[in-house]
Amino acid sequence: MTTRGGIVASLVCSISIAYSASIAAQRGGAAPAGGNARQGGARQGAPAPDPLGGVAALGQSVKRPPAPTGPVPRLPDGTVDLSGLWVGGGPTGDIEREGGLKPGTLDELMKPEAKKIYASRKEEDNPHYQCMPMGIPRSTPYPFRMIQTPTHKKATHLFILQEGNIHSYRQVFMDGRQHPTELDPTWWGHSIGHFEGDTLVIDTVGFNDKSWFDNKGHPHTEQLHTIERWTRIDEGHMAVEVTMDDPGAYTKPFTVHFQARLTGLPGDEIMEYICQENNQYGVAQGIKPADK
Amino acid sequence: MRTKFGILVAIFSLLGSGAAVFAHHSFTTEYDGSKTFNIKGTVSKVEWTNPHARFYVDTTDESGKMVTWNMELASPSALARNGWTSRTLKVGDQVTVTGYAAKVAQYRGDARSVVTADGRSLFGGASDDGRPDAGQ
Repeated sequence: MTTRGGIVASLVCSISIAYSASIAAQRGGAAPAGGNARQGGARQGAPAPDPLGGVAALGQSVKRPPAPTGPVPRLPDGTVDLSGLWVGGGPTGDIEREGGLKPGTLDELMKPEAKKIYASRKEEDNPHYQCMPMGIPRSTPYPFRMIQTPTHKKATHLFILQEGNIHSYRQVFMDGRQHPTELDPTWWGHSIGHFEGDTLVIDTVGFNDKSWFDNKGHPHTEQLHTIERWTRIDEGHMAVEVTMDDPGAYTKPFTVHFQARLTGLPGDEIMEYICQENNQYGVAQGIKPADK
Repeated sequence: MRTKFGILVAIFSLLGSGAAVFAHHSFTTEYDGSKTFNIKGTVSKVEWTNPHARFYVDTTDESGKMVTWNMELASPSALARNGWTSRTLKVGDQVTVTGYAAKVAQYRGDARSVVTADGRSLFGGASDDGRPDAGQ
């Protein structure tokens, strides 16, 4: 009961919902601001109004259908079916704010060395903006699929196919194996997963220290150990709870909450997203010369 | 279980409304959400690429000099989900572009709106692309 209350409270605190709620859409209102819009002003103080107004102000529109709210789909053997084109489920700009933590939590938990690294980080060094892997638990505004293999018996592997970031995938071993005792550090780490009832639990170690949790640059070390709990709460919504345990950077573990939703666009599929093909980040703000 | 779901639905609807505010994301460090532009010109190049599709517009500046604007759009996938194709803009098209100017670079903008010669008004972004009205 307490856990449920805690989840509910965290969701209330979490202001970063990537897409509208079905109820709001059914009222006929415009879809609410996207995740990054709601966290607006994180770097610059109070959010300012847009001089161009909303999309409708210029006679345009954005297709953003509501996510379905039917019952959780299940596989023939009764386990939850994670199929669908999902979006969201992690931070982009600020893991503390988007993850439902009290402001200042991470500053309190950060160890001195991590604090130094965090303070020294500049946006132009953001690996995400250089099209490098986003690591865990970061997400993008672009969809992903969760694919289990095989499908007719107990899964041995689960792949999270990402459209965004670098159009890549995560590999989660579902066959009961344990983490190797020695691991070469990688951007995505070594993930093992299993189901606890309707919750997919993914345990990951073996990270390198290169990804940033968010655009603010919250750091982690190679000691990071993440435990993700993905629970499909209805047909169109997935609660994502991630416990972050990194004794190299934070004095104790912390748990962040996000949610993912089906994109809801009929016929939607993962589209190609080759980030590095024409990345002109930095030119507009003058930190990189234009070569065009 | 049902109670929890009911609470979650209520929370989602509470978080439903929101004014058009400036968003976090690389937008705010690259472009100035308060520095808008509106220009008319001719499309000279279209790049249907990631992470941002781009198109280039030849126009004249205030002094009458010929300049080329580098216009940034959302990703091809985000645009496609909102009705664009790689052929929506073509070299030679006459367009009116409204958007937010780059913070430093000249003649570089985040294109919020593209009005084509045949009168179509196209939204140049999509949710979470960081521009002020992201998600609207």
